[in-house]
Amino acid sequence: MVRAALGTRRIGQGPLRWATLVPAATVVAASLLSALPIVSSTGWYPDFGFLVLISWRLLRSDPWPAWWAAPLGLVNDLFTGQPIGFSVALWSATMLVLDLIDRRTMWRDYWIEWVLAAVLIAINEWLEWQLAGLVGASVPFSRVLPPLVITVFLFPIVAWFVARLDRWRLGR
Amino acid sequence: MATARPGWSRKAQYGLFFGLIAVIGGIVVGLVLLIMSLVAPKTFVTIRGAALDITAPLTGALHGVTATIEGLGSGAGNYWDAAHQNEQLKRERKAMLQRMVEAKAILQENRQLKATLQLRERTTAAVATSRIVGSSFSSPRRFAILSVGTSDGVRIGMPVRSPDGLVGRVIDAGATASRVLLVSDRANIVPARLLRTGVPVIAQGRGDGTVDVRPLEVGRNPFKRGDIIVTSGTGGLYPPLVPVARVVKLDDDGAVALPLADPSTTSFAIIEPPYEPAAIAAEKAVRDPETP
Repeated sequence: MVRAALGTRRIGQGPLRWATLVPAATVVAASLLSALPIVSSTGWYPDFGFLVLISWRLLRSDPWPAWWAAPLGLVNDLFTGQPIGFSVALWSATMLVLDLIDRRTMWRDYWIEWVLAAVLIAINEWLEWQLAGLVGASVPFSRVLPPLVITVFLFPIVAWFVARLDRWRLGR
Repeated sequence: MATARPGWSRKAQYGLFFGLIAVIGGIVVGLVLLIMSLVAPKTFVTIRGAALDITAPLTGALHGVTATIEGLGSGAGNYWDAAHQNEQLKRERKAMLQRMVEAKAILQENRQLKATLQLRERTTAAVATSRIVGSSFSSPRRFAILSVGTSDGVRIGMPVRSPDGLVGRVIDAGATASRVLLVSDRANIVPARLLRTGVPVIAQGRGDGTVDVRPLEVGRNPFKRGDIIVTSGTGGLYPPLVPVARVVKLDDDGAVALPLADPSTTSFAIIEPPYEPAAIAAEKAVRDPETP
């Protein structure tokens, strides 16, 4: 344990007052990115809300009480125009799955995190594609591959950003 | 919820357990909501509209910023090449004037012919004019957001067009914003015809910004590269003779076409009432519209 007086950081600098709300707020902000006035005719933009959600959850086991995933998913559904309930169910299930994985994995490193994230992102895209098929918009799966690849490669950047946010909110 | 057993504290153990129950509850609620929004898409119309209204001011304000920046870029580009562009525009204008006189003559003739046939001309007044301020980002679906809503008279199901061509139809409407199902969405099927030959075709989105066009009658592929597809007015939702797309690639029994109204560059969209309101009402009674 490092003594506070010996460290380089300023004394009296602690977590932010609303530190517990920061992770959830960033997920909502990421969902709101879809309100940006970017008109895309290809749909190759990543699913920012989901990306930030799994980034937080892979970084820490307790960014928010796990059931918060449901209301966060509802917000995402409303702002991104997904059928309501899709993100609610998927995000809650993601929290559950990651809890189970946490029990199983003996050790974690960066590559495992990335593979996990890639698998989760692929499941998300696949389900989104299945759902689009259900409501009469069945496109070939190859059309979903570009956004999938882009999202997977964007994960490290988002994870880095989330780690910086985490340090900022905890005053480290 | 990371550790299997958070120690000897009963309180912590119960907390963990109830957390698990809450997550499973979240999944169940989500699935129920999802099934409801698939089976009865009308259920969440109000709340979806409200969410659109919440983001509308943000989107609208930021759209001004991006439009200004884009304008600065293209404006500078125009100055760069002014002399050459001026010459070209003059040449185009001359050609256009000729075409316009021809078109006027044709229009007049057309009117006379229609009068002799006693065809009823239906003029549709625009319900509202709006900017396209946003779009769906990350899904196989293709939506766009308009900056007008029910307070401007926009209703779900109304067709949307721009000066360049057909944009799509309204599927969600808030008070100040609405969501449009673009022509390039897979679920949007537009009855259309080839402008060159008048062959009836079906235009269906491909989800990646292009549309599939197929002839109604199976047989020889009637398309050529560069063909213009226009709406036929069949079905009564879209008005006839609105340009839809231009054929860019042929495949075995149809073609791939590019929508003429590119939502990312279309500045204004015009919302019109359904072309044949009676037909739409009758159709609605039979089947539920395929909204997400």
